[in-house]
Amino acid sequence: MRARLGGLPTFVLLVGAAYCLFPVAWVVVAATKSTGELFSTTTLSVGTSLLANLGELGSYRDGVFWRWMANSALYAGLGALLSAALSGVTGYALAKYSFRGRALIFNGLLAGVLVPAVVLAIPQYLLLSKVGLTDTYLSVLVPGVISPYGIYLARVYAAASVPEDVVEAARTDGASELRILTSVALPMMVPGLVTVFLFQFVSIWNNFMLPYIMLGDDGKFPVTLGLYTMLKQGNTTPALYTLVVTGALVSVLPLIALFLTLQRYWRIDLLSGAVKA
Amino acid sequence: MRLDIAKKAAALGLGLALLAGCGGGTEQTTDGPVELSFWAWAPDIDKVVDKWNASHPDVKVVVSKQAQGDELVTKLLTAAKGGNPPDLAQVEFQSLPTLVSNDVVADISEGAAVAKDKFAPGVWDQVTLGGSGVYAVPQDSGPMMFYYRADLFAEYGLKVPTTWDEYAQTARDLRAKAPDKFLGTFSSNDPGWFAGLVQQAGGSWWSVDGDTWKVTVDDAATKKVAQYWSGLIREGAIDKSPMYTPEWNKALNDGTQVGWLSAVWAPGVLKGNAESTLGKWAMAPMPQWDAAEPRTGSWGGSTTAVTAGSKHQKAATEFAVWLNTDPAAVEGLVTQSAIYPAATSAQEALTNPPAFFPNQPDFYTKAAEIAATSSGFTWGPNVNVTYTAYRNAIGEAISGGGDLVPALAKMQGATVDDMKANGFKVGG
Amino acid sequence: MTGRGGTAPKLAPYAFVAPAVVLFVLVFALPIAYTVYLSLFRTEVKGLGLGRGSRSEVFVGLDNYVRALTDAELGAGAVRVVAYGAILVPTMLGLALVFALLLDEDRVRARGFSRIAIFLPYAIPVVIASLLWGFLYLPGTSPLNQLLDALSLPGVNLLSPAGIYFAVANIAVWGGVGYNMVVLYTALRSIPRDLYEAARIDGCTPWQVAVRIKIPLLAPALVLTSLFSIIATLQVFVEPTTLAPLTNSLSLTWTPLMKVYQDAFGRGDIYSAAATSVLIAAAMFALSFVLLRVTRSRAFGGER
Repeated sequence: MRARLGGLPTFVLLVGAAYCLFPVAWVVVAATKSTGELFSTTTLSVGTSLLANLGELGSYRDGVFWRWMANSALYAGLGALLSAALSGVTGYALAKYSFRGRALIFNGLLAGVLVPAVVLAIPQYLLLSKVGLTDTYLSVLVPGVISPYGIYLARVYAAASVPEDVVEAARTDGASELRILTSVALPMMVPGLVTVFLFQFVSIWNNFMLPYIMLGDDGKFPVTLGLYTMLKQGNTTPALYTLVVTGALVSVLPLIALFLTLQRYWRIDLLSGAVKA
Repeated sequence: MRLDIAKKAAALGLGLALLAGCGGGTEQTTDGPVELSFWAWAPDIDKVVDKWNASHPDVKVVVSKQAQGDELVTKLLTAAKGGNPPDLAQVEFQSLPTLVSNDVVADISEGAAVAKDKFAPGVWDQVTLGGSGVYAVPQDSGPMMFYYRADLFAEYGLKVPTTWDEYAQTARDLRAKAPDKFLGTFSSNDPGWFAGLVQQAGGSWWSVDGDTWKVTVDDAATKKVAQYWSGLIREGAIDKSPMYTPEWNKALNDGTQVGWLSAVWAPGVLKGNAESTLGKWAMAPMPQWDAAEPRTGSWGGSTTAVTAGSKHQKAATEFAVWLNTDPAAVEGLVTQSAIYPAATSAQEALTNPPAFFPNQPDFYTKAAEIAATSSGFTWGPNVNVTYTAYRNAIGEAISGGGDLVPALAKMQGATVDDMKANGFKVGG
Repeated sequence: MTGRGGTAPKLAPYAFVAPAVVLFVLVFALPIAYTVYLSLFRTEVKGLGLGRGSRSEVFVGLDNYVRALTDAELGAGAVRVVAYGAILVPTMLGLALVFALLLDEDRVRARGFSRIAIFLPYAIPVVIASLLWGFLYLPGTSPLNQLLDALSLPGVNLLSPAGIYFAVANIAVWGGVGYNMVVLYTALRSIPRDLYEAARIDGCTPWQVAVRIKIPLLAPALVLTSLFSIIATLQVFVEPTTLAPLTNSLSLTWTPLMKVYQDAFGRGDIYSAAATSVLIAAAMFALSFVLLRVTRSRAFGGER
């Protein structure tokens, strides 16, 4: 009885893991195939062209793929860093001070979650073009810095991980509010802010609509958008499936690496933040 | 302390400003060399542009590769609305009226009229829209042709169909001999392909009468084409999966698709998607409605347009003319980008067959003969709408049993509604 | 020093939230206001509409809203999204809950591996995920069909009109189950362990502990994950847009957001797209408000 109970949960979890890994395994296999093999061999048989594909991907239009990767790293890395900082400061203020307008600000920010990115992108584009900022790195970077969801999470973390009496003690010691924020509260919130960083990193890395609309110059494209243009070649040109598949594999590797190294921070607490170590 | 925040914010702002500066810079002062941005999707067109840049140090053209035709049009419309379009763009013929109507492309008759003689009159009409303006320089054209697997045709004892009746019979014969194979597919995803078939049948979707548009997406010729294919779909004589999917690629590779009604640029697509079938394909004229009077339609084909928002229209026009008429440039387009040039002299210069068709040495001679039978077509100002309606309504019709004719009424309705909603005068 | 002690706590929170508020106004509020403004206009064409200056912007009041509300395709799209959500949300959250509860069991092996593996799809961009699944769905390239074929069984086509809801929902389940699992698992870990000990001493099986103690305590987290999932469901766009070229079963106006996109880009009519956007946003506000009201009383009321 006991043995069966121990075995079944493990089995169910492994089935779930297999389901989630299957398409990933498919990409890995597909990336080893030449174009001919991709469309002629059995789906799960390994091909022979991984290195050739990587070489071709790297030399495609003088290495523009790596430029796209670097762009993605810049958009997601810098954007998520700024976003985590902004969320931390805002979340702390919303959690630890009671001030007039707090509920209004919090609810207003939260309502931002409800507006679909597709809906926002067009007016954002038109407004930015009035100040001549479209087709710049800024046009993709800045909207990624503000994340209603990140602020929400940071508020939860601040409420849970920054004890009231520590703040009070610092205050009676004569520390300024900014000092309390930077040397007391934010350090305590770091694990939560790492989560916000990861969350925002993934969401910026994966964002498609905003750069699609904002950017014209393909030298500024993030990797998702670049791969998309390689796929949408039109009727008169063959789609570069092999390169897209190989590129897709390469483009998710940094995310996977980030996950594995920071996995202990993936504790997404929507409510209390009372996480036990 | 609060000052500190201000300092940090300023530093941050500065950092962002620097970042913004490092990638942009299309705006040039009047003295320095002019830089032109060019949105295009033709493969390796950068290499052709490099030739221009090498010989024109004062006008530098920078290619930005974009998603293909329809998507590029939507991006151009948005960019023009926002007031910062590129200087030049690759535009398909059918999208020109849309872009002219939205004031996206410039009238470049002043600089481009000289190029008129380099193109067949029918092709040139497509960039003037029948008026006195010139809105683009033709780049490539796509007369439609029939491609088939010569090896499999021989294996199954099939004859190359010359009429649509024969095409239907060949499709049935093939199904009888090889039940897992198809002579072709009817694709809900390729309105341009359907429009080409309609052109061949003599259909006309838009026409102009004074300042009134006439829309006839459901005219008799279009209905004839739709009825013909409805029959083939319903009896299962042909496939009904969209083209340009991974599945279709596989079908080209493994011989599930034995034929393809395509255009002159097909060899490049076949090479990219089904390299293993090298030398096994052959090209023939389209099956005909009236064998005594052979005709063909066009699928694909594009132009180089200069945008109305460009600050360097003169230089851009010069480039557009050079790209599509200069012998070295056109040769580059043919060899690097694998297009079928619109310029007549360049068409005549094509002597070697495409590398993928070594078995058909007279490929381009034959292609030129076929191209001469192309039907003309007037495109309307909202082809995007008609095309979207095609995708939705035809997809639905195929899933719902295969009667395509009701879908034409939906396409007609969507096109007219959109034009009326925008204030166009639309006559019956 | 003395002065600061009195005023700082009053001003400090405003200074701290100011950057976020400014950015929010720029990135969210202004574009939303601009959308509302745009929704009251449309273009008008003179003559054939060919040539310079033949289009002008005219004020039309609520015309665009009337047209959107009476648009049959938009209504049909809303119905499709509801049907899609009815498949997606229970499946995704049900699986996430099961996985989270299993991870929380003591005797489970390969816990770390399963957790990472199930969470992994979250890292994969939806555009890329949809492309991959498209390969796996197409009967011609599907490994499932190759397997069925080898066993002489009939193939399945998830891209058929009946299968398409599952095809789209599966991509979202695949991408989202791990994230929700982690949320629920995090909440589970914050439940004091001694509660379980007490129950075990009372003779409860692990199953009973899960149903009687864990799930009720998870209720607030379940409510929030449901809310966020429903919001994400209503915003479904990328999956069907990427799959559409592969099949006859998906129109380009399959969901309301796809309709907005088509209006804005396919038809170049940002004005009616703006009106539809405003309607969608309003519907989402209303729905979230009602959901929060209803569930708050249930979830938190039951606990106290």
